[in-house]
Amino acid sequence: MYNVPTVRNTPTIRRLEGEHGSKQNRKHLELRFSRSQTHPPEDSPLTTLAVILPLALALVAAPLTALAGTIRTAWTAPVGVATAALAFAAVLWGWAFAGGGSVDFPWAPTWNLRLAFELDGLAALYAMLATGIGLAVVAYASKYLPLHLEHQNRPDTDIPRFHAFILMFMGSMVGLVMAQDLLLIFIFWDLTAIASYFLIAYDVHEEESRYSALMAMLVTGITAVLLLIGAMMLYVEYGTFLLPDLIETAEPGIYLTAAAAFMAIAGLAKSAQVPFHFWLPRAMAAPTPVSAYLHSAAMVAAGVFLIGRVYPLVQTSQFLLDALLVIGFASMVVGGILALSRDVLKQLLAYSTISQYGYVVFMFGLGGPYGAAAASFYVIAHALAKSALFLTAGAATESSGGETRLSHLGGMLRQQPLLAASSGAAAAGLAALPLTIGFFKDELFFEAALERGMPFPLLALFGAILTLTYMWRFWTGIFLGEERGESRPLPAAMLAPITILGVLTIVGGIFVAPFASLTEAAGMVSFNAETPISPAYHLDLRPVNLLALATFGLGALVIISRPLWAGAAGVFSRIGEVLGPQRWYDFSLTGLNKFSDRIHWLEVDTLRSRIVAILIPLGILVGAGLLVAAPAEAGIYSVGTVESADIPLIVALVLTAVAAVAATVPRNHLTLVLVLSASGFSLTAVYAFFGGPDVALVAVLVETILTILLLAVLALMPSAVLKRSETHGSTPGTKRRAYIVGGASAVVAFLGVWGALSRPTPEESVAAQHIELAPDAHANDIVTVILADFRGLDTLGEITVVGIALLGIAALLSRGRLW
Amino acid sequence: MTEPKTGSGAKGGATMTVMTQTIARILFLPALMTGIAVLIKGYADVGDGFNAGVIAGLAFLLQYVAFGYEEAREKLRTKYLPAIGFCGGLLLALLTAFVPLLLGKPIFTHSPAPGAEVIHIGTFELITAVAFDVGVFLMVFGFALGAIDIVARATSRNHAGGSAEEREAGT
Repeated sequence: MYNVPTVRNTPTIRRLEGEHGSKQNRKHLELRFSRSQTHPPEDSPLTTLAVILPLALALVAAPLTALAGTIRTAWTAPVGVATAALAFAAVLWGWAFAGGGSVDFPWAPTWNLRLAFELDGLAALYAMLATGIGLAVVAYASKYLPLHLEHQNRPDTDIPRFHAFILMFMGSMVGLVMAQDLLLIFIFWDLTAIASYFLIAYDVHEEESRYSALMAMLVTGITAVLLLIGAMMLYVEYGTFLLPDLIETAEPGIYLTAAAAFMAIAGLAKSAQVPFHFWLPRAMAAPTPVSAYLHSAAMVAAGVFLIGRVYPLVQTSQFLLDALLVIGFASMVVGGILALSRDVLKQLLAYSTISQYGYVVFMFGLGGPYGAAAASFYVIAHALAKSALFLTAGAATESSGGETRLSHLGGMLRQQPLLAASSGAAAAGLAALPLTIGFFKDELFFEAALERGMPFPLLALFGAILTLTYMWRFWTGIFLGEERGESRPLPAAMLAPITILGVLTIVGGIFVAPFASLTEAAGMVSFNAETPISPAYHLDLRPVNLLALATFGLGALVIISRPLWAGAAGVFSRIGEVLGPQRWYDFSLTGLNKFSDRIHWLEVDTLRSRIVAILIPLGILVGAGLLVAAPAEAGIYSVGTVESADIPLIVALVLTAVAAVAATVPRNHLTLVLVLSASGFSLTAVYAFFGGPDVALVAVLVETILTILLLAVLALMPSAVLKRSETHGSTPGTKRRAYIVGGASAVVAFLGVWGALSRPTPEESVAAQHIELAPDAHANDIVTVILADFRGLDTLGEITVVGIALLGIAALLSRGRLW
Repeated sequence: MTEPKTGSGAKGGATMTVMTQTIARILFLPALMTGIAVLIKGYADVGDGFNAGVIAGLAFLLQYVAFGYEEAREKLRTKYLPAIGFCGGLLLALLTAFVPLLLGKPIFTHSPAPGAEVIHIGTFELITAVAFDVGVFLMVFGFALGAIDIVARATSRNHAGGSAEEREAGT
């Protein structure tokens, strides 16, 4: 015989309907999967190795260093430098000698998720920056960090953490730039955010550090969700996260524009572009090597990298390109002007970074082959120069005994000639003077602007002049002017990275070909077509050269006329502080905190308010459901007929009702418990007569346990308390409230049950299917077969919850012991 | 330990009557038997692992009420029973769920397959779904007994201690 549960609308049944839906989805996905089979993995061992080796070395650097550091602190730096060097060498080898390559491993084929990595031009460029500058930074930090910790009286055991997180940053950058699957990109993207959080908050005892780290994490983390949303939008539409496939199949339109815009916003926030720029100067709270890395090759570079990676999707929409132009130009100007008004070295550099990446975004916005390629070239030139400049700032501070302000530094040229020369090369590189790699970055920049036509060359000129001005200010502020106090000698390990980076800036200005070819390869990925560029010196009066000359001339003018505009720059930065986006950030953060606190208090204030917080929304929802359902469905709230077979049922129902009403009368607690359980047991009889023996059985058991529990609780209560509550009558006010609440809930419950039970049976019910399938499952009892077979996974989840509840009880009452 | 031999129903130092204790003792095995029966007949008749676990738990609860924590625990040797129920139940359920995965089938593929012959031992059927049901029984029983035991220990240690945690002992 079949025991059919007659109580319809149980969660089980609804869940089953849900499963039907997901089955259809799965079929849909399988179709999609077969479509994307057109992307066969290349499986030459060499090209596979060219991807796997750099990736593996970069990813393994952090754990290895952390391990070495835990064993012996002194091993941290050597192991860190060695692993970074190995990773750098592997990237160089993989690109220059093996010629790049790709791997594609479907790890969740049902959802078409793949571990797809490719060492293409764009990946090679950024991976070299991440590992190369990572190497320089780790080497520099091996000397800088002990000094830094000594200033703060912190133990050496804090060192491994630093190196491990820098290398984790490096590893996630390498993973990010090689990933071809948007989901992988998202994962590595968030890993960089996590690494940056711990690095910015490295001086964890300082509130400023923690605040800044949280800000960087929130700004980049919340916008990272937009990246995920964009990726999901594309996945839903095209059934794949794989970028090459998406670039091939995605059709221009509003949908694609929206998805690309979401991803671009994530990139812009990470590159600290207006209006997200405020987190970057804050992040200067981090130790100097972190800033150097964040700005040149990692965090901020990751932002423009992402734009470069999804650029083929972005450039399908002229609107997005124009938006990039506006944002890039705004960042260029805001960053440039604020850099002119800052006194603290690292602040100046931070705003210059905002401005410099504004250039890059601007170039992406300009579009065309020159725009895409020039953006990549710009990133290389900027990374070399900016990391050297940051390390210079740290070195100058260290050498002067902790001075961080430009107005209190000066005249270091004589005492630190090598530092002055190397950082001079780097500054010249950023300011685009001839014979540095920077000259070409501006040449390409102007070229891209000219390609687009007026007025963009003028905007570009404006940006270039700003750069020249603040770079002049930075370098002369440290090295020229009168000497201020003693300057301590610096260890070679701190000077060497700066020198090497400075030399590279010069070398790039003379032998530009290798950089240009790397750029062309990267530009090809971004532009999805050839992007030939030919940076070279031309001794003639072509427009590009005229613009460069104009930059130098006007820049000199601006530098000389500093007293005229210094006040204006100060006012601009003041306005930014009062009205700028950081205000909005603080405002929304405190607002959200307050809101959350208030909700929290509403819930936990008293037991009564907590119950009210649950019951009132429940009542409103059920009531709304009744109002909506009543007119929509025919036959609901109908009154049926009573037949003689129904008499036992009615008797049981009446008994339940009588017991329920009677429960309001007794004062004595024991009587109350017994009356309540009488009501419950009568309800059990109702289930039994209604044709649900399984439900009845469960109800009997629950009722029994509940009665015993209530009695046990009574036994635990001090008898005085019980006596007092029995003899003290309730006030008329509480009585009235009790009647109102009781009446209201009775009406809602009555309507709810009536509505549910009077609803006509649907034609095709899940119950019928269950009955049909039960013999196949060798079962006679439908309920059991539903629990153990049809809905087995749900049951597994439920008993796991039961188990966790037991562990919770054990944790609360017996310190986690089960015996 | 303040009230070694009395259960929770006793107020003001009054011990459980001999009558209650005798009935509790007599009822223990039949109650367990009922639980097992509900479990075994699960696939053929009303009831399943959930109910069976609760019934078996109730059988023990009755002993705790009648004899008090110390004595019940001592006599019935319940010390490791909750842990065994918990671990064994979870293990059994997970095994039936995921072993098919190792054999290349979707999870929760029960065998024998639909239409195949099933070995019957009375109403008891030798199928993996029943094994899963036994896992459910063990887990629920482990939970019920564990919750009773822990709460009883806490209240016997600190007589004013709370016991609201036992609410979930039902389904």
